[in-house]
Amino acid sequence: MSNKKPSRLAYLTSGIVKENPTLILMIGLCPTLATTVSARDGLGMGLAASFVLIGSNVVVSAVRKLVPDSVRIPIFIIIISTFVTIVDYLMQAYQPGLYRVLGVFVPLIVVNCIILGRAEAFAYKHGIFDSLLDGLGKSIGFTLVLFIMGTIREIVGNGTFFGQAVTPAWYRSAPMLFAIFPPGAFFLIGLLKALVNKTKLGGNK
Amino acid sequence: MKESKLWVVISLFITCCIAAFALSQVYAITKPKIDYQRQVAGLHTALAAVMPEANRFEPVNDDSTVWRAYADDQHIGTVIRAAKQGYGGLVPVAAGIDLEGKIVAIRVASSAEGLKETPGLGLKATEEKFREQFKGKTLSELRLKKDGGTIEAITGATITSRAVTDAIRETMEKYQDIIIIKGNE
Repeated sequence: MSNKKPSRLAYLTSGIVKENPTLILMIGLCPTLATTVSARDGLGMGLAASFVLIGSNVVVSAVRKLVPDSVRIPIFIIIISTFVTIVDYLMQAYQPGLYRVLGVFVPLIVVNCIILGRAEAFAYKHGIFDSLLDGLGKSIGFTLVLFIMGTIREIVGNGTFFGQAVTPAWYRSAPMLFAIFPPGAFFLIGLLKALVNKTKLGGNK
Repeated sequence: MKESKLWVVISLFITCCIAAFALSQVYAITKPKIDYQRQVAGLHTALAAVMPEANRFEPVNDDSTVWRAYADDQHIGTVIRAAKQGYGGLVPVAAGIDLEGKIVAIRVASSAEGLKETPGLGLKATEEKFREQFKGKTLSELRLKKDGGTIEAITGATITSRAVTDAIRETMEKYQDIIIIKGNE
């Protein structure tokens, strides 16, 4: 028992830095690039995907002993898409402004490879509590990167943070628009990845 | 049991049933809320069409026919909504009025929104050519030329033209007290 505890904690923490889905494993890049135009959008997308990831991890883990190997992928997809549709409805009902911005990327959470990847690689082989920790860790890592990207792009490209002005008026009248255009997203994730490599946050590989 | 052929089928079936049930519950709960949000968004679009500079609208009266228009917290005018019997049914209109009492723009609901006027005649009321006549007009000018005003009726669609013009004029008259115009504030 004593040597089991640290490993359980590692399920949670590994997703945040060492196995960060976007910056180390380099998966789930599509929403990372497309939805991080502002801090609010990045955070919203991160939280929506987190809800799906944690939910699907727990459910997949709970039913793993009943699911036949041959049809496990269809069953995972049904579970994931059910959670995605729930998020979709909830967001439409309670966050219509955010929903209008995120648009098609909310239903597209279904094909986010982080979620199916964790269901297949982790939740299908581990217990409910461990899967919950894993989902939570990966979610925090994913949301964090989206939030950082959104924050940087919004401040540089629009001069605001959560819609509040944080830069002098002269900057806001002519901000570096490049940052909120799609190429700016590629540029920024390249810089972040370079930083991660330089600091060896993902360990030596 | 886990790998038997029958269980492969049944497990998928059960998964689908549970998913469908869960979704139907969520759908039932969120449906009224989603409909309400769509309505609000649609209404905002209609109001913004006649007061393009405004980014916020607040209802003044209970039946939401009169709205205050704000641009960055500054009060810039009033938007009214009205409907009057035309040729084929009710003709819903909206008009933006600036602080001088002049009309900024008007909008006539499209046939997708339930307008039932004759295509090629009454339906022309939704077109720019007819609507732009209202720009800059004040209350006293809002009558068809035939009725002694300044608005040229659409050829062959006097009833629709009159419905649009009268709906706006009558609503402006009715709510004169709450449509803020500089000078009589």
